[in-house]
Amino acid sequence: MNAIEVKNLSYAYDSQKNALQGVSFNVEKGSYTTIIGHNGSGKSTLAKLIVGLLEPKSGEIYIEGLKMEEKNLPQIRNKIGIVFQNPDNQFIGSTVRDDIAFGLENHKVPTSQMDSIIEQYATLVRMQDFLNSEPEHLSGGQKQRVAIAGVLAMKPDIIVFDEATSMLDPAGKEELKRMIRSFHGNEDLTIISITHDIEEACFSDECIVLNEGKIVLEGKPEVVFEKADLMRKIGLDIPFSYYVKNLFKARGIKVHGDTAEEIAEELWQSHSKN
Amino acid sequence: MAITFKKLNHTYSPDMPYSFHALKDIDLEIEEKKITAIIGHTGSGKSTLVQHMNALLLPTSGEVEVAGFSVTADKKPKNLKQLRQKVGLVFQFSEYQLFEETILKDVSFGPKNFGVSEEEAVKRARAALKVVGLDASYEERSPLDLSGGQKRRVAIAGILAMDPEIIVLDEPTAGLDPHGSREMIKLFSALNKEQGKTIILISHDNEIVYRYADNTVILNKGEVSYSGPTKELFENDELVEKFNLVLPQLLELKSQLQKKGFSLKKHYDDLEALVKDVAKEVKR
Repeated sequence: MNAIEVKNLSYAYDSQKNALQGVSFNVEKGSYTTIIGHNGSGKSTLAKLIVGLLEPKSGEIYIEGLKMEEKNLPQIRNKIGIVFQNPDNQFIGSTVRDDIAFGLENHKVPTSQMDSIIEQYATLVRMQDFLNSEPEHLSGGQKQRVAIAGVLAMKPDIIVFDEATSMLDPAGKEELKRMIRSFHGNEDLTIISITHDIEEACFSDECIVLNEGKIVLEGKPEVVFEKADLMRKIGLDIPFSYYVKNLFKARGIKVHGDTAEEIAEELWQSHSKN
Repeated sequence: MAITFKKLNHTYSPDMPYSFHALKDIDLEIEEKKITAIIGHTGSGKSTLVQHMNALLLPTSGEVEVAGFSVTADKKPKNLKQLRQKVGLVFQFSEYQLFEETILKDVSFGPKNFGVSEEEAVKRARAALKVVGLDASYEERSPLDLSGGQKRRVAIAGILAMDPEIIVLDEPTAGLDPHGSREMIKLFSALNKEQGKTIILISHDNEIVYRYADNTVILNKGEVSYSGPTKELFENDELVEKFNLVLPQLLELKSQLQKKGFSLKKHYDDLEALVKDVAKEVKR
């Protein structure tokens, strides 16, 4: 079953050329899909359309079978949550507890249940010890984790990360990426991550590559990253391990590993055989 | 030396219960006309350190000498404006600081503020926009209509228009896509090579540091734990282990290969050279 179906979707901002042109794709329920593209490729526009923050100029979007249109919006917004790029722009509460409570209050969750729900989701993102902390005492990564807890507490079917790691320091980035991966495998939660972190894309089920508002590549990471020349041409990189694989391949040596250690081991094995 | 720190200390809110000793007895020399990277964990004092380079922060004790000026605890330099013209500081996520109606106005604000005539300020702004790769068609557009990477270029052009000798950048590539990061770092490299600017940049990206920085400074809990040539740092296993550095991918691969038993050279300029040597051994 598809969590998201996008059919021939186009969008344009005022007076500018199309930010998205005739984009179509499906996202399988419970999968982890990365949408990659350089700044200005249309990927953030796509994210805003999928969560209903922008209205398509033409084309259709279905979320869990529901067509994206005015009358379905309230239902769709219950099914899909988004975590934005800037940690400082999405912290609303005066404390971590208040911030997670904000969405629950909007959904009229009874006060008696609220505390246990807040604790459950704060624990999930490892922020249970910071419930009374104020945002100015949290790192960017911690604030992003609180935002995730707030979204997951709404029990969405789909969570969209819109460059959620790009403003964090390396440690914060790694932690958040590990967390996103840990949500994967829960068949009730579909994960979409809009990113230009190609190393993150390695871990997803499907990659959709956008350039100038169009899909130029689509498929499993190993299929997409084989096209090194095309990726470079559109201003993207490929993961380091694929550079290594491609260079050895050109010299008639096949390696498959994803980490430096795996690759070194494979090479040593074939060295010892000869 | 472009900048010399002498026994510099900085304490935030010194008389308060929550005072914080951010920099401790910093003795440090930053070479002229070189690219110097400052690395270290979040909270190690990197941003505090660079804000002393144009007297945005004053030391609590000690001294910093920069471009012929001396900055100490009790003494702001007399010609503060002149110092700030010589040392341009680009903040983290500088794209959020654009404010003028048009890009040309935004970029010429700096030089005008330093007393340059309107005409000259516009001339310099145009030249600076060209250097960051934004052509004349951008001049009358609103800075708010640009993509994140382009906005950051405008902010950097605003600093270049003041023609500083020293350019200090707090994480200039954070949040940019790989192509944007590469273009950005090539720009600083060109400013250094072609115009002889001293470049100081805070970075979390050791790929960039290893490839572009002549020298590297490691800050740890407010203290300098290393200051010296970048290659000597990253290509020395003991130092890498001591400072728990994330290796650039090329060096990580080389180190894993050596652990398995491949005998390799000390330094490789690029991945292709490394692959060539390894392929030779595999096929032997």
